[in-house]
Amino acid sequence: MQQLDNQEILMKLKSQKQFWDIKKKIKQGFSDQQKIGINDIQKFAQSCEIEDQLIKLISHILKKSKKRETLKEDQIEFLNTSKIKWTELLFKNLDIVHQKAKNQEEDDTNTDSKLYIYDEKNLLAFLQTFKQQQPSVLYQNVQFQSNKLLNINIPLKSAQQILDKYQYILLQEELPEEKINKIRKQIENEHLDTELEKIAQTYVPNGERCLLYLKYFEFDHQETVLQQNFAKLQKECSNQLFFDELLEIDGHEISEDTFYFVFQEQILTCLKCFIRDKTIKENIRIQLQNGMKKEHAEFQLPVTGFFPFKNISKYVAPLCYLSTKIHIIYALFKEFFCRYFCFLHAISSEYNSILSLCMQIEEIVSTRSPKLFHHLKVIGCDTLKLIIHQLIYCFVGDMDPPHILTIYDQIIGHDSLEILVILCVGFLNKYKPKLLLAKNYENVQQIFQELREDKFQELVQFAYKQ
Amino acid sequence: MSEYFRKYIKKEHYANHYSNLKFKTSFRNCILEAFKRRLWKETDGDDWDIMWAEKEWIHEVMDHTHLQSNQKINHFRNHYELTRKDLMIKNFKRYKKNLEREGKNEEANNYNFFPLTFHLPSEYPIFFEEFKRQSNNGDTKTAWIMKPIGKSQGKGIFIFNKIQQISQWKNTLRYNQDNPQAEAYIVQKYIADPLLIGGKKFDMRIYLLCTSYQPLTLYLYRTGFARFTHHRYDNEDISNTYVHLTNVAIQKTSDNYDEKLGGKWNLQTLKLYLMTKYGQEKVAETFYNIQMLMIRSLQAVQKIIINDKHCFELYGFDILLDAQLKPWLLEVNASPSMTSNTPVDFELKCGLLDDVFTIIDLEKVLTGNEEQIGGFDLICKGTPIKLPINSTFTTYLGAFNNRQQQLKKIAKSTAIRLAQTYQEGQTKAIEVGSKGQKEKEEKDKQMRSSSKGPQVMQNGVNGSIKTTNQSKQNTIVKRNTTNLPALGTVQNKSNIKRYPLQNAGQQSQPIQQSQSNSSKKNNPNEDSMLSANQKLQKLTQESKINQFQPYKQQSQYNDVMGMGSRNLQKNEE
Repeated sequence: MQQLDNQEILMKLKSQKQFWDIKKKIKQGFSDQQKIGINDIQKFAQSCEIEDQLIKLISHILKKSKKRETLKEDQIEFLNTSKIKWTELLFKNLDIVHQKAKNQEEDDTNTDSKLYIYDEKNLLAFLQTFKQQQPSVLYQNVQFQSNKLLNINIPLKSAQQILDKYQYILLQEELPEEKINKIRKQIENEHLDTELEKIAQTYVPNGERCLLYLKYFEFDHQETVLQQNFAKLQKECSNQLFFDELLEIDGHEISEDTFYFVFQEQILTCLKCFIRDKTIKENIRIQLQNGMKKEHAEFQLPVTGFFPFKNISKYVAPLCYLSTKIHIIYALFKEFFCRYFCFLHAISSEYNSILSLCMQIEEIVSTRSPKLFHHLKVIGCDTLKLIIHQLIYCFVGDMDPPHILTIYDQIIGHDSLEILVILCVGFLNKYKPKLLLAKNYENVQQIFQELREDKFQELVQFAYKQ
Repeated sequence: MSEYFRKYIKKEHYANHYSNLKFKTSFRNCILEAFKRRLWKETDGDDWDIMWAEKEWIHEVMDHTHLQSNQKINHFRNHYELTRKDLMIKNFKRYKKNLEREGKNEEANNYNFFPLTFHLPSEYPIFFEEFKRQSNNGDTKTAWIMKPIGKSQGKGIFIFNKIQQISQWKNTLRYNQDNPQAEAYIVQKYIADPLLIGGKKFDMRIYLLCTSYQPLTLYLYRTGFARFTHHRYDNEDISNTYVHLTNVAIQKTSDNYDEKLGGKWNLQTLKLYLMTKYGQEKVAETFYNIQMLMIRSLQAVQKIIINDKHCFELYGFDILLDAQLKPWLLEVNASPSMTSNTPVDFELKCGLLDDVFTIIDLEKVLTGNEEQIGGFDLICKGTPIKLPINSTFTTYLGAFNNRQQQLKKIAKSTAIRLAQTYQEGQTKAIEVGSKGQKEKEEKDKQMRSSSKGPQVMQNGVNGSIKTTNQSKQNTIVKRNTTNLPALGTVQNKSNIKRYPLQNAGQQSQPIQQSQSNSSKKNNPNEDSMLSANQKLQKLTQESKINQFQPYKQQSQYNDVMGMGSRNLQKNEE
C-alpha cells in the first residue's frame, strides 16, 4: 500500500475544487478581521460543518491513493490451474490464427475475415469443462442441480440479494426539470466518489455523463496528461504488431453496427493504443490470463498481459458517444476495462467474474422460471448459451447506445457488474413465450434474428415479472 | 399504423371503405408496399383514388387531365419552384427582398440559410466579380461547388477553388447565353467547415409533408437520417467527391462502400451524440432552427405554388450543419428516395408513407384537427404552430417517434367517434322516416276527412292527443340535452357537421339536434347509446387524443433519448 506524506495530501487537496470552495468560505467568514488565529479557524470550521467536509475530502483522497492491487491468484486453487490451462489453449489458438492469416496472405481467394483468438462461446465452453471438485459445504447459496451448465462450488451472493439490490430501479419516478438541473450542478461540484456513485445509481443527464465518469475516475483535471499519454501510444502504433491485424478485422465487424460505424477509425486507434499500453498490467483489477511465457515461441502475451479477443471493440463503441476527443474516449475505455470488463474474461471466484455472473443467472432462471430453463435444456440450447453474448458484451449491439450508457451508469453506481445478471434474466423473460414455442436451436436463432428492440427499463421490469 | 384503424373501426362506419380505394403507381419499392399494406387495390386505369406519380407525369399529363374531386396526387403542379435548385434560390432571394421592402427586416434576416449562390451562365459576370473579390481579400482557399440544375443524386457536381477549373466548362457551349441547350448550373459558396462526426461529413434528410399551400399546412416527420460519407473529411482534397458528397448514389460507387452499413444514423442517434458535445439547450435550438428553416422555405414559395386540393407533396429536405451547428439548406427533393437498403430503413419508410396516407385521409375518418398523426406533427397551419412556453421541446424533430402508440390511440378514439356519428345518423334516419310517415298519414286522413264529414271530430281528437304527446317528448328531450354526457363538445358538433347523416340512407333533410335527441329517447337502444357516450367521454379524458399535447417536460425528453424515464413503462401486450 502506498503511503502519502502531508505534502502530497496537500497537493492532492489543492487539485480538488471542493478544497478551494472551503477556503473561500473561510475567507468570507473572516473578511472583517485582520488577525486570524488557528483556534478561530477551528471554531469557525466546526460551526459551519466545514471540518466534516474537510475530513471527508481527505479520507477520500487517502482512499483513492490506495493502489488497488491486481488479483493474480485465486483463493480457490482449482481455478488457478484452470487459468493456466486456458492460457495454454489460447496460445494454441493464436498459432492456428497466425497460420490462417499467413495462408490468407498467400492465397487471396481464401479470405476468412472471422479471425480471432477466442470468443464468448469458447470461453463458456471452457467454463463448462469445469468438473465439480470436492463438494464443499462452505458455500450453500446455490442449489446443486445436475441440469445446470455450471456446477462448481464457489462463494456466491444469494440471488435474492442481487434482485433486492436493484429493485429500486423499478420504483424510480420521473424526475422533474428542476431536479435534473440540480443533478447537473451536483455533478459539476461533487468530488466524493460515494456521492457520484449515488448519482449514477439514480439518474445521469446525457450531457453530464462524460464529466461524471471523468470525475469518478479522477481524470477531471488531467486532460493534458491524458492527451500526452495518448499521443505517445499513438506514436508507438507505427510499429506493426500481429494483433493489429486481428483488431482491424474486429473493427470491421463493429462497423456493421448502425450506431457505431461512424466511429470505426476511433475505435481501432483506441484498441491499437490499448494493446501497447504498459500501464494496463498494473492497473487491471484481475489478470485475465496467467502470464506464463512460452519458451522459444513466436508470440508472447501482449504488454497488457492478455490476448485481445473477438468483439473487444464493443466495449469502446458506446463510449464514443461521450466525447469527441479520442484521448478521453481512450481513458474512459481503459478505466472501464481495467475496473470492470476485465472480470468478464477472467476465470476467478470473484463476485464480478464471468463464472459468478453465469451461475447467478442459471440460479435465478432455474428457480424462478423452471419451465423455461428445462425447455431450453431439452431443445439443446442451454440458458447460458443463449445469453452469453449479451452478458459478456454488456448488451452492446443489442440495445441502443443510450440504454448501454445507462448500464454503464449502473456499473459505476454499484461498482459491480451484477446489473448484467438482472438484464439477462429480464431478456430471457421477455422472450419467454416465444422461446417456449421454439422446438430446436434453429427456431431460437430465428427469434433473435427478427427485428427487435430491447430497452434497459423494460428488461429490468421483465426481470422482476413472475 | 393503418391496421389499427382496420382493427377498431367497423366496416359500416367508414365514409369511404378502404376496400373501395384504388391506387396507381409506377414505383416498385416501399411505395408499393405501403399501398398494399393499406389493402388498397392497384389499378392501371384512370379510376384511381390516389396516384403516386413521377414528376414527369405531372409536367406532361396533369395539365391535360381532369381530376375527380376525390382523387389525390403526390405533387403540386409547379413544385419545381421549390425543388429546382436555381428556382428555389431565386424565390428565396425574391421573398427576402419583398420582406425588406415591407420593412420586415428581422424576418428577412432569417433567410440566411442558403449559401451565396449564382446561376450560370446567366449570372457568370456577377459570380466572377465575387470570386475575384474573395481572392483579392486573400481568401484563396474559398471553395465553390457547381451543381447542374436538372440533375439529382449528386450527378455532375464538382468543387473548385480556382477559376481555371471551370474554364473547360466555360469554354464549351455551356457558357453561351444564345445556346438554348446550354446546361444551366448553379455555383454556390462551399460550406467548408461542416460539422464532422468521427471525422466524417454528414447531411440530414428530413421529411416534410405539405397538404395545402392555402392555408399552408405542414407536417414534419420526427425521424430522419444523417447520411455519412465513407471517407474522412479533408478540406484540402476538393477533387475527391467521396469525401464531400453524402448522396447514397455517389457513396455506392466508392470502393469501401458497404451495403449492409447504409452509412446512416437516425436523427435520434444524432441528437444524442450532439448533446454530449453541445448540451441539451444548444441542440434543441438547432433542431428548432431546422424546423423554422423548413417552414420559411415553404412560406417563400407559398404564393407562387399553385394550390390544388388534389395535391399533396412529401418533401425530402437536405440539410447540412456547420461546425457552429448552424443549419444550411442544400436542396429540397420532391421525390425523396423511397428505396431502402436495410430492413430497418424499409420499415421506417413504409411507416412514413403509411402516415402520409393516413393524413391524406382517403377513408375520410379523421377530423382534420389532429396535431399528431403517427410520426408526423403538425407544425404549420396558416401560421407556424407554437409550442407552449413551458415545454422543454421547441420542436418534435428528432424526438422519440411514438407513432405506433399514437396511431393506436387515434384509431381507438376515431372508432368511437365514428360509431357515435353512425348511430346518431341511423336514429335520425329512423326519426325522419317515422315523422315523414306520420305526416303522410295525417295528410291522407285530412284528404279523407274533407270528403267524409262525420270523421272530422274523431280525427280532431286523435290529432290533439298526438300533439300533446309530442310536446311531452320535447320537454323530456330538453332535459336530456342538458344532461347529455359527452356529446355537447365542440369537437363532436364539428364531427356532426362533417359527417351529416353518414350512411343514413337517402335522407338529406337537416334535422334539429333536439329532434335527433328526441328520437334517442324513443330509441329502444338508448342504454347502449348512453354507454357509448360515457365510453367516449372516458376515453377522450384518458387519452386526450385530439388535443395538442406538448411534451410533459423531462419525461418526454427522457423518452426521446430513451434512457431517463425509469418509471414503470406499461408494456402494451
